[in-house]
Amino acid sequence: MRSPAPRAVPEARRTPIARREARTAYLFLAPALVFFAVFFYTPIADILNTSTLTGPHADRFDGLGNYADAFRDPAARNSFKVTLLFAVGTTVGAIVLGLALALLANRQLRGRTLFRLALLVPYLTSIAVIGLLWQNILDPQTGILNRVLDELGLPTQQWLITHPLATIVAVTLWMISGYTMMLFLAGLQGIPQVYYEAATVDGAGPWRRFFSITLPLLAPTTLFVSVMAVISGLQAFGQAYIITGGGPAKQTDLYVYHVYETAFRDRDFGYSSALSVLLMLVIVAFTVVQLRAGRRGEVQY
Amino acid sequence: MSASDAPGISRRRVLGLAGAAAAAAGLAACGSGAPESDSAPGGGEDGTFTVYWNPGHHYEAYQKVIKEFEEEHGVTVRMQMYQWEELETRLLADLQAGRAPDVLEEPGGWAQRYALSGDALSLRKYLDEDGKAMGFPDDWQPATVRHNTHAGEVYGIQLHMTCQLLVYNREMFADAGVRPPTTWDEVVDVAKELTHDGVYGLQLNQDQAYGWPWMLQNGVLDYNHTTKKVMQPQDAAMEALQFQADLVHRHEVSPVPVPSKDYSAPQKALSAKRAAMIVTGPWDLPVIKQSSPDLEYGIAQMPTGRRQSTILAGTSMFIPKKAPRPDLSWDFIKRLTTLETELAATAETGMLMPRRSWAAKPEVKGNADIAAFAQGLTYAEDAHPQTYLSGKGTELDQAWKTLYQSVLMTGESVPSAYREYTDTARAIIAD
Repeated sequence: MRSPAPRAVPEARRTPIARREARTAYLFLAPALVFFAVFFYTPIADILNTSTLTGPHADRFDGLGNYADAFRDPAARNSFKVTLLFAVGTTVGAIVLGLALALLANRQLRGRTLFRLALLVPYLTSIAVIGLLWQNILDPQTGILNRVLDELGLPTQQWLITHPLATIVAVTLWMISGYTMMLFLAGLQGIPQVYYEAATVDGAGPWRRFFSITLPLLAPTTLFVSVMAVISGLQAFGQAYIITGGGPAKQTDLYVYHVYETAFRDRDFGYSSALSVLLMLVIVAFTVVQLRAGRRGEVQY
Repeated sequence: MSASDAPGISRRRVLGLAGAAAAAAGLAACGSGAPESDSAPGGGEDGTFTVYWNPGHHYEAYQKVIKEFEEEHGVTVRMQMYQWEELETRLLADLQAGRAPDVLEEPGGWAQRYALSGDALSLRKYLDEDGKAMGFPDDWQPATVRHNTHAGEVYGIQLHMTCQLLVYNREMFADAGVRPPTTWDEVVDVAKELTHDGVYGLQLNQDQAYGWPWMLQNGVLDYNHTTKKVMQPQDAAMEALQFQADLVHRHEVSPVPVPSKDYSAPQKALSAKRAAMIVTGPWDLPVIKQSSPDLEYGIAQMPTGRRQSTILAGTSMFIPKKAPRPDLSWDFIKRLTTLETELAATAETGMLMPRRSWAAKPEVKGNADIAAFAQGLTYAEDAHPQTYLSGKGTELDQAWKTLYQSVLMTGESVPSAYREYTDTARAIIAD
């Protein structure tokens, strides 16, 4: 026989103090709830509605037609593939570079604060500024990089033409690595020194200490960085909009840029809304998978 | 009670919420809802008259006329400046939100496109009343009237009328002992003579619109509304594409264009004396004069492929159907297109204008730069005369952009890129 499930405490049995605390909590939450309702939930509801409409004025009901079109559209598939590669590149790169920089910044160095600040500045700068900056640096004909390479007698580059996707991944990593470094640095400083001392006494070398102590105990930070990097990678826009215009020949047609072009160039708000909803579902799926995988990999000493 | 037992949100939950919030933020940002707005357009009630305009065309000559307009009607004109792409983004967001500016400038083709979608106001009523007095259509170049007409009704009035020609560095040409090319073969020969030591003979533009003069010279029509065929005749289209690709990849007389939204790279290269010749319009001349006052440039007519041609360009004004005060909007258009205003704008900037009486003025004929472009206008053509009728003009332009970038930038073979283009275009038209 099954035991009775625990019953929730009836509302009538709540004490006046509990009710007052609940009211106070909701009062404090109200501004945030209003903000989210106006700027997030209402637009999301509007997008869900618009995704079922079609025509230049998005005024004809089309059911799930836009969603069906999305799966048949080779341009949408291409932009999703490009974005997936971009997200993987920026996520792996952000973890590797961020961790490497954090290990450096965690050492006793002169000017350590300045070093950390210098690495964080790109993250604090707008993607519009960074895009224009790198566009001017990388331009094969007028960019400063080729002038420097030429002066040094080295072969010049045309990376925006020959490796456009890898180039915008690299620019993004230059931008975000300082931020991931700060996250890993906080994680490193949270690892008790006693573990390293014990391992050293047991004869563990630097690599063994890194792989057996540092890396496992940084798992929560790595999980957080990977979740945020995948999300921001899938939502990247400015790199295509500012630096490459999605080219050459759609090789950097990032998904959100494709959505923007569909809405504001092709004037297909219904279809672009459906593409947006699909992106949200993909992001949620990625996040759930990452969190579950991260949970299994957690280590505690 | 230990910390881990404490009620509240776990770290995992926080991460989950952070992920969900970020996803929601992205979705909200992608939406079609009303965009962020620094000002409401069409503010008829508060006496504000809203105009969307290109920042490159905010001339003193127009500001004087606008001041008179404000004084006569008791309104404040708010000129909101946007580059073309941002201007259309703003306009579409407005229309989606059920509002519109009083009047706007457009880079060509929009009046027909928005007429087709029912978002532009027919000017028939106004032209019936004022057309004769303002010399419309007789005093306007016929191409500019066709360019703004849909189903027999006029929806826009041309503001500027320009075309693309060869602009070159006279000193480099003199040093190499060459003259501006008049045929495609000469383009290659002259460009080869001029290409040396980091200087390119002819720099092609990354913007796909700049590929059209060569296509037109081979008699290519990008869309035929009767046959529903794209980029025909096929052999002429492929030959013109191959010619451009060869300039970059075979003869190496042009650098590989770099993908970007900026179409000023050739102008910058000419100004920096790293390109001897470019294809551009009169809008680049003031920039060249300002950035390189010592550069002596020349303007040559476009060479001849199967025929002589170049792309007809220039901006128009139209009134959105939802404009709050169309009568005022029409008066605004009339004032900015008088012969007197056209001449003042030309004197100030060198811009070319659509009136026939403007072209006949001695001050226009006497200016060498303007006269050269005015000659170009005699054979310039609308590159996309029927495309808007497909209702898929922007999608077809995106497909053309991919084709242009494939052959010029990535070096894909012309037959392969052309086949991909036609497959894509057919699917777009059939959709």
